[in-house]
Amino acid sequence: MATSIALPNQQAQNPLANIIRFLPGVLLLAVIGFAGKVIEQSINGYAKAHHLVIPNIEYVLWAIAIGLLIANTVTIPKVFLPGIATYEFWLKAGIVLLGARFVVGDVLKLGGISIALVILEISGSLLLMTFLGRVFKLKPKLTSLLAIGSAVCGVSAIIAAKGAIDADDEDSSFAIAAILALGAIALVTFPLIGHAMHMSDNSFGLWSGLAVDNTAEATAAGALYSDVAGKIAVLAKTTRNATIGFVVLGYAIYWASRGQAEKVKNKGAFLWNKFPKFVLGFLVISLLVSVHVFNKEQVGALANLSRWAFLLTFAGVGLRTNFRDMSKQGIRPFIVGALGEILIAVLTLGLVVGANAIWKL
Amino acid sequence: MSEENKIATTATQLGLSLDVWAVITAFLLAILVRVGILKHVPW
Repeated sequence: MATSIALPNQQAQNPLANIIRFLPGVLLLAVIGFAGKVIEQSINGYAKAHHLVIPNIEYVLWAIAIGLLIANTVTIPKVFLPGIATYEFWLKAGIVLLGARFVVGDVLKLGGISIALVILEISGSLLLMTFLGRVFKLKPKLTSLLAIGSAVCGVSAIIAAKGAIDADDEDSSFAIAAILALGAIALVTFPLIGHAMHMSDNSFGLWSGLAVDNTAEATAAGALYSDVAGKIAVLAKTTRNATIGFVVLGYAIYWASRGQAEKVKNKGAFLWNKFPKFVLGFLVISLLVSVHVFNKEQVGALANLSRWAFLLTFAGVGLRTNFRDMSKQGIRPFIVGALGEILIAVLTLGLVVGANAIWKL
Repeated sequence: MSEENKIATTATQLGLSLDVWAVITAFLLAILVRVGILKHVPW
């Protein structure tokens, strides 16, 4: 009897046993992502064989749509949940491998433009969301979380800020639900607006990376437009992600000065702790490709590995988007988020159009 | 969210953050490609 009680406990604490728990969900991600790819290829093959002109719908959309359909029509068995939540791991690994598709010159040029635009985007977003939060009389810490989430990088930034500013679980759930719901809407609306405005791949990718909050949705929105737009979206979004520590530190200091959060003792350690390490991984792979550590075929292999990692991510984006759960969080944070996101989308679109006029993206 | 937190906890139990594990996985794959174990990755 004692053994039967002890075993589950040991299993829960054993990291390898935990890793095995992820397998069913990871397999589900792979099946859905691959189904999306097969559907895209089948439709294209059918259209070609019958000489039909059908607009190409990328596997990204199919994978997300299948995931959304499953998540919003049936209850996903618990055995799949841990693996589904690994989509963020695949996203980060995919971003590191995506570094193979950028030589350092590209990173410096586009990254430099991204940094300038990101600074403007973050400043505008923080001011805008803070103003809207006050107008709609949201709780101050909820306003801070929404501002950080929309300015920097969605869910990761909210989670990072939650501990730093000592926010309530309820506030962070509100903010996360609003950011995820708005990200799902952006997936549909951004590519439509981009096509209507005949935006170039580079411009659209930059816009997605600047305006869509969550990294997975920003990557997916870019990839829905085109392969090139997808990789530019990741570069712009990664630049935004790199600022997470500075923004969260600023808010932590502000709330600590008001006696409503713990003081930050070591600012350097705080910044390093919050810094997304996959940004460094991305730069290392890009540097190795630039100095020809990999030949052309190997670069192609790395790029394809990145695509497979993203395929799992996109399936996860659909599977974890449950509109019923989101609607339970209330409407006011969503309205503030939606208003803010629309204004941020317009602001960043203006920035990208301006940058395009200056630098010919 | 709780499942994502559990993953972060599992990663930490293995001694490193989820971010770092993602970087290590990507680097290992890059090494496999470089030494020729992963020669062709179809898409």
